[in-house]
Amino acid sequence: MRRAYFKNNWVAALVVAPQLLIIFVFFYWPTGQALYWAFTLEQPFGGGSEWVGFENFQYLLSDGRYWDSVWISTVYALATTVLAMGMAMILALFADRQLRGYQSFRIGLIWPYAVAAPAIGLAFRFIFNPSAGVASYLNYAFPDVWNPVMNGNHALTMVIIAGAWKQVSYSFIFFLAGLQSIPRSLTEASAIDGARVMRRMWDIQLPLLTPTVFFLVIINITDSFTDSFGIVSTMTAGGPARATNLMVYKIYEDGFRGLDYSGAAAQSIILMFLVIALTFFQFKYVERRVHYT
Amino acid sequence: MKLPVLSTSVLAFAALTGAAMASGEKIKFDYWYGLSGQLGEAVAGTCDRFNASQDQYEISCVGQDGYANAVQNTIAAFRAKQHPTVVQAYDAGTADLMMSGEFYPVSKMMADFNIDIDWNDYFPGIANYYASSTGELFSMPFNSSTPVMYFNTAELKAAGLDTPPATWEEFEAALVALKASGKDCAYGYAPDSWIDLEQFSMAHGVPIATNNNGYDGLDSEYVYNTTLHVKHMENIKRWYDDGLLEIRTSQGGLNARDSFAQGECSFYLGSIASHATVGKLVDGAFEWDVAMIPVFEGTERKNTVVGGASLWVLSGKSDDEYRGAAEYLKFLATVESEEWWSANTGYIPVTKSGFDALNAKGFYDNPPYKGREVAIQSLTYTEPGPLTRGIRLGGFIQARSEWVNEVQAALQGTKTMQEALDTSVSRSNDVLDKFARTYRGKQLP
Amino acid sequence: MIERTPVLNFVTHAILFTGLAILVLPIYLVVVAASQTLPDVMAIPAKLLPGDQLIVNLKAAWIQAEFATKFQNTIILATGVVVGKIVLAALTAFGIVFFNHRLRMPIFWMVFITLMLPLEVRIVPTYAVAANALSPFQTILDVTGLVWLINVTTGVEVALNWNLLNSYTGLIMPLVATATGTFLYRQFFLTIPDELVEAAKMDGAGPLRFLRDILIPLSTTNMAALATIMFVVGWNQYLWPLLIITDPAYGVAAVELSRMVPDSNTTGGDVPNWHFAMAGTLIVMLPPVVVVILMQRWFVRGLINTDK
Repeated sequence: MRRAYFKNNWVAALVVAPQLLIIFVFFYWPTGQALYWAFTLEQPFGGGSEWVGFENFQYLLSDGRYWDSVWISTVYALATTVLAMGMAMILALFADRQLRGYQSFRIGLIWPYAVAAPAIGLAFRFIFNPSAGVASYLNYAFPDVWNPVMNGNHALTMVIIAGAWKQVSYSFIFFLAGLQSIPRSLTEASAIDGARVMRRMWDIQLPLLTPTVFFLVIINITDSFTDSFGIVSTMTAGGPARATNLMVYKIYEDGFRGLDYSGAAAQSIILMFLVIALTFFQFKYVERRVHYT
Repeated sequence: MKLPVLSTSVLAFAALTGAAMASGEKIKFDYWYGLSGQLGEAVAGTCDRFNASQDQYEISCVGQDGYANAVQNTIAAFRAKQHPTVVQAYDAGTADLMMSGEFYPVSKMMADFNIDIDWNDYFPGIANYYASSTGELFSMPFNSSTPVMYFNTAELKAAGLDTPPATWEEFEAALVALKASGKDCAYGYAPDSWIDLEQFSMAHGVPIATNNNGYDGLDSEYVYNTTLHVKHMENIKRWYDDGLLEIRTSQGGLNARDSFAQGECSFYLGSIASHATVGKLVDGAFEWDVAMIPVFEGTERKNTVVGGASLWVLSGKSDDEYRGAAEYLKFLATVESEEWWSANTGYIPVTKSGFDALNAKGFYDNPPYKGREVAIQSLTYTEPGPLTRGIRLGGFIQARSEWVNEVQAALQGTKTMQEALDTSVSRSNDVLDKFARTYRGKQLP
Repeated sequence: MIERTPVLNFVTHAILFTGLAILVLPIYLVVVAASQTLPDVMAIPAKLLPGDQLIVNLKAAWIQAEFATKFQNTIILATGVVVGKIVLAALTAFGIVFFNHRLRMPIFWMVFITLMLPLEVRIVPTYAVAANALSPFQTILDVTGLVWLINVTTGVEVALNWNLLNSYTGLIMPLVATATGTFLYRQFFLTIPDELVEAAKMDGAGPLRFLRDILIPLSTTNMAALATIMFVVGWNQYLWPLLIITDPAYGVAAVELSRMVPDSNTTGGDVPNWHFAMAGTLIVMLPPVVVVILMQRWFVRGLINTDK
């Protein structure tokens, strides 16, 4: 991409300085400390630590329990991203037709974004209760078919649905914006050429949506790895039998509750690298297919 | 002389904050507690009462919304030197606090400030949990509880039982009888390490780990996959498979306590601390009572130990703040305070004289307090022996979590209970190992 | 709408309606629970129709949780985050898109990586920094021997201290440090046509002029979008305020909400007041929802990349 630039690099340094300073103090410095803990056995109250090199990592990487957690997190990330973006895209494509009631639909579909994660967790817990919530009616009809308390797969499904719900609004907003930035002239021209609605969706709107898709895939996947804590902690506390033990939750449990700072620090580093690798991969290989203009 | 710009502003800051502190007359100190909800309000009540009872010190109490949060926030604050003087830490966090050495043992503190406390007045079953190997109390017992068996009197009668079961064998027979009399949920259950593993082992006098449950050294190992505990958990699994008990958790709708309180299930094994809440929830809808938790037939019953939390005084504060903390702890140890606390929560008094005074007043003769003396009975059934002092194992929170997750897996049927307990023991031993290495060279006080 | 497609229109409406129902259902249940009495809300199976206690519960929740102060604090927090974010993100994105220096991508990545490690995971050391925001610099000065040097040459002991606990600054600053806004602005700035930049240079305008006179006006809708997002994020903050605020006068709404539903598993038991908790949820949910609805017109437009 050829770009026109300004020459004065001192100005550049000046403008980026504030943010860099803040992220240095509030992100990199603390993260550096946490990084250090990953290579030692750290006492919670301070007061001493012992250097153990890569031992914490070795323990983790040879622990079947840890790999279970990685697997569950990956499943969760993919499932929520696909569900949320799929549903959002369909809704956006149809909303963009701007039929009657468009304004209300748009409002109605956007505001769930404003709800906090713990509140969502609580509401969904209520819904999915096998004995008390809406799902209990299902259990009346077919006894014991839905039991997230004892069945790990059910619990994971429940958490995925809640997670996807959280992301739909956000993705919907971006898709709608992306669609509305496609010049009307294009769609009109192709209509004149005889292309029907669905055809236009497929041939014009979808390809031109690729920058938005790219952006959203990154954000959705990153968020589902890093932002999923609130939902798991209110709905399942990682269970049953660790079936919903997402990596982020495991870190919090081991570090915060279990007071195992070193283990938690090592897990955090692995998580961070995993997400960085995923994003880097997306930037390198997927961004090529994005049409920016 | 050139002053770096930053240090000038620092001086200004220091001057400002210094001035602010000097202008207050009372000596202030901070207390972070973990209880929340109605119990948290009761704690705040004790602070208000303390502040009202004297005008030299002012305690500032901040609820941390949960025991785990209280401990973690204290650690974070400690590392930044912004920690409170007093913190309410739960039983599972005892070993970490102890090993850090960053606390002021309360027995020493009271002696330093010439405050007379009769340490022998504390129930041994409570004091031993928080004492050093030489019997010196490190933290102040405060909200102590022990598990009891809640039962629905009417439903038991209807099933043909006039007295509550005293042994597990009788308990199973009771479950069978209840189911036969048409009750859907005889026993509302959720795996709880505190009751099923810890208190069970105490009452039966079997070890949870070597070194007398960790008291004698840091090189302990878990052994509960080889004790009576296995038989008990296998029973639980059998009862679950046969429908004699139902799993009740908050995530599933009603937890075990509320299931009992709403009349859904006939039995509930839980902390005496819930006694007040259960009373409120039941609200006279049916007759219920509590009894000691069952033991296996032929076992010589031993004392159970406490749960709840105790108050720790942290290091790195000023003498004034320590004096204030000492006064507050002394205030809590008075009979009036204990009475107030027992009346407003389900917790039991921690001193013998407190209990005696309440008994003399007929406190435990009538509802809503009737029945709580059962907890004291359970705690004092025998003098604490080497195996029934308590638990002093590092990383215990993680060990509890391992136990719960493995038991859940066994209940689901993905492995046998013995396998589950074996895995739990092996992983928990790893935790102990790490703990010992983290504190290499240090001793348990 | 270009042609008449009645069947497709019907399908469109059906799809949109279903989507709406799915999204709104959980909130409906929250409203139902918030309008019932305690026995009703704990009933099994759940009562799915609203009760009549809504106003009563809302009032009770408002007073019980002292939401008045909390709302004030949360508004300050959210607004601070919004302003901080908008300004900083614009500046940084500007610096990496419109200048050609080798550090462009490294800086972008440095900023972007802050999204990859959630706060939950680095919370203890971040707290230590909040307790003394100048401690990194103090440590650097110590380690490089500058403290000793300054001491020796001028006799002054450098002791930097800036305590951010229990303060608005402490609440706001770490939240301003993340990368969402920068990423958004970068994507937007990348679509600014080269011709605009060339034209500005030909007019003799420096980069700052370009920023102020051309870029900012073009970005207004972008800023509106970012402002809305950051307001919601700031408003719903839970973990960070929980840790650094111990003075109730500085409490925020989300933390207060969580206190309304005590976790009976860890604190020895209490009656969970679900109806109050759900009422509280509605109260806490209201401001961000209102903001999103008010701003949603700008919001959507703001994410459009070709508004020249």
